Order: sequence, then structure tokens, then C-alpha cells
Amino acid sequence: MNGPGGVLALVAWGTVVGLDLTTFAQVLLSRPLVAATGAGLLLGEPMVGVQVGLVLELFALDVLPVGASRYPDYGPAAIGAVALMAGRHGETGAWLGLAIGYGLAGALLGGASLSLLRLLNTRWARRASAGLAAGDQRLVRRLQWRGIMTDLARGALLTLLLVAGAGALASLIPEALDLAPVSALAVGAGLAAAAGGAYRNAGRGPRPRWLIAGLGAGLILALAR
Amino acid sequence: MRHGFWRSYCRLLAVQGAWNYERMTGIGLGYAAQPLLEDLRTADPARHAEAQVRSVEYFNSHPYLAGLALGAQVRAEDEAAPGELVVRLRTALTSPLGSLGDQFFWAGLVPAVMGSLILALVLGAPPAAVWVAVGGYAAVRLWTGFWALRTGLATGPQIGAVVGHSWLSRWAPGVGSAAGFILGVTLPVAAGHLLEGFGTRDLSFGLLTAALGLVGGIVFGPRLNSVRFGLVTLLGGFLFWGLR
Repeated sequence: MNGPGGVLALVAWGTVVGLDLTTFAQVLLSRPLVAATGAGLLLGEPMVGVQVGLVLELFALDVLPVGASRYPDYGPAAIGAVALMAGRHGETGAWLGLAIGYGLAGALLGGASLSLLRLLNTRWARRASAGLAAGDQRLVRRLQWRGIMTDLARGALLTLLLVAGAGALASLIPEALDLAPVSALAVGAGLAAAAGGAYRNAGRGPRPRWLIAGLGAGLILALAR
Repeated sequence: MRHGFWRSYCRLLAVQGAWNYERMTGIGLGYAAQPLLEDLRTADPARHAEAQVRSVEYFNSHPYLAGLALGAQVRAEDEAAPGELVVRLRTALTSPLGSLGDQFFWAGLVPAVMGSLILALVLGAPPAAVWVAVGGYAAVRLWTGFWALRTGLATGPQIGAVVGHSWLSRWAPGVGSAAGFILGVTLPVAAGHLLEGFGTRDLSFGLLTAALGLVGGIVFGPRLNSVRFGLVTLLGGFLFWGLR
């Protein structure tokens, strides 16, 4: 994994990606396809990043990050999944399923860490309620920055944990293991997730018709290739 | 541009920085309000103190559109609107701004952009296409934030009517339809690309998993979300093929 420098670069990228999920800017950096491609570039294997990112993105298309709902954090998880697959030129198909499974577990862990962050923010805000009711501006600034910095630490720690875990897992799995069927299952589950998300988001009105028209056009395009 | 506009704009980019279950984005919005309320501090210190308290109360909306509420609130404070009216304005904006933003961005533009990106990569675009998509989306997001704060400040308490006739409301259904079409095109093409190279047996397992996952998701709803289904399927597959 390119040594400590590579791990440090991945953690730095994971920190940015973790912040992008809800705390700062939200400009798609936390999408698994973007996070994984960035990780692949950092590890000198952009196509591995794209491959992992494509499948995890199918799962992420099923998620609506609305308000107080709980949702998985795919960004650092995608980075961990790429770290697991990096360095396996030519056998990416066989290891893809394992990497996707690892990414999904990491996304759940990331979602849980986000809920924990929100609980911490709630506790801090509750403790500060008297000062907030008195219009204390410095307290507002302090609460805001404490939340941002805690999320920054969350992204860094989560990425470090997932990248380190990927290294440990890779050393435990025998290289010769035939995991190609698991990779096919991962792609199938991802396609089900994306299709389910598209179906649920379509709702009523003209959108279902556009979805069906798109499916028709996509089938023709897929058969023509 | 009004004094403090750009500082507030930058702070709005992190409006969810202290998101919590009691005030939700209230603290983030209050932090972003501080530069815009500075003028009020010298003009009317008592009003400024009250406005600061109101600015951190409960608020939640789509994060990109929080500037509409912030601008409208600051304008109302400038015009010495009654405090109850300012609070009611914030409360009244919560649901419409949340719903409009979710419809336009989370359920529309984001899936449309990501679906287009998947399609482009599957059809042979280089990995650099990812950064083009991120750059384009970021430009829309940053401009929306600018538009929201500027419109809120220019409009004040009448913001609801302005938003109702804005480009966001007009374009939201079209963006949703475009997202539906793009995802429809993407799914079969991505399936063909990602399942290419697998043998007949593995391909059958992949397609069967896709069918079971789709039907299971529709039948069982949130109880069988995609992550759970994916994890259970992969764990089962790994135990079956990996430990043989």
C-alpha cells in the first residue's frame, strides 16, 4: 500500500471526504465513486478505484440523505475497499466481492459514527442552552467549530481504521482463493440497490415513464455494445 | 453586496457543522448569521441581542437553501419585524425548503450526475471524468448557495412566494424526470459492463441476486435495505465459496 506515505495520503483524503458528507460543502466528494477514484489515484491504480467505486456507487444510489435519517457513510468505506484491492493486478474480478463486502461493512460503521457525532453535538448544545438563550456569540462559534473538528477527527480515524483493517484482512485471505462468484453476487446486489432506489425515487407523475423509457434505451445500448 | 455577506456565505457552507437532534442546523445558521447581524449591533443593541438568540433556535432545511431562510430572517430583523413573526418565518420555511431541496438535489440532480458519470465511465471515459462531474456539480452547489442568501436578503418575509416561482420550483420536476431517464439508461449498460467476463454460472448468480434484491426491497421495504441485503448475500457467498 505504498508504505506510511500512502496510508497518510489516504487518511488525508478520507478526512476531506468525511467532512464533505454533511459538515462542509457537500460537493459529491463523499460519493463512493469519487472517493474510490481519488484513493485509486493516490495508490497509483486509478482503474481499481473506478471499479470499486462503480459497484459501491450502485449501493449509494439507494440512499436519500434526508434530515435526521440515518444513512451509511460510503466515503471512507470506499477508500478502505480500494486499499483492500490495491496491488492485485489481474485478479481484481476475484477480489471485487470481498472489497465490496468490506466497503459495505465500513459504510455501516461510518453511519454509526455519524450518529454518535450527532449525539455528541446534541449533548454539547444541551449543556450550552443557558448561554445560547442569553445570546452568547462566542459560545455559538465554539459549538460550531467543536462540531466541525470532531467530524474532521471522525473522518480521519474512520479512514485510518478501515485502511489498517484492509491491510490486515488482505494478509489473512489466501491469494489463490477463487472469489469470482462472490464478486458476481456483489455486482448483482449493487444493481438491485440502484434499481430499487430508482424505483422508489420515481414515485408518481411523469418520472416513472421517463425511467421506463430510459430502461428501454439502456437495453438497446447494452445490446448494441 | 451587503457588509458581512461573504463571511456569512462561507459559514453557510458548513451550516450542518454542529447538527444535533434538538436544534438541528440552528447553531450553524446562528453562526452564519453573526456577520450579517453586525450592523444591527451598533444601530439597535437590544434588538441585536434578541436577534442573536432567535438565530440559533431550531431550524432545519436543505443545507444548500439555508441561505434563503437566513437572508429572509436578517432582512426581517433589519426591518424591526416583531420577534414572533421572525420565529414563525423560520418555522414556516423549514418544510418547504427541505422538501424542495431534497426533491431538486438529493432525488434529482445528484442521481442524474452520478448516473451520467457511471454511464460515461462504463462507455470508456477516463477516470478524469470524475473530476469534471465533481467540478460541474460544485459550481451549481456554490452558485445555489450564493443565490439563496442574496435572494433571502433581497426579499425578506415574502420569501415563500419568491421561492414558489423560482427556477428551483420550476425545474425540480424536469430534473427528477431527467434523473429517472438517466438511471434507466445507466442500469442495463452498467449491468452489461460489470457482469462482463464472468462465466455462465457466476453470471446466473449475479442476475439472480439482482432479481431477488429488487423484489425483496420492494416487498420488505426499509426492513431489507440494500446494505443489509448486500452484506448478508456477500457473507453467505464468502462462507460458501471461500471456506470450501
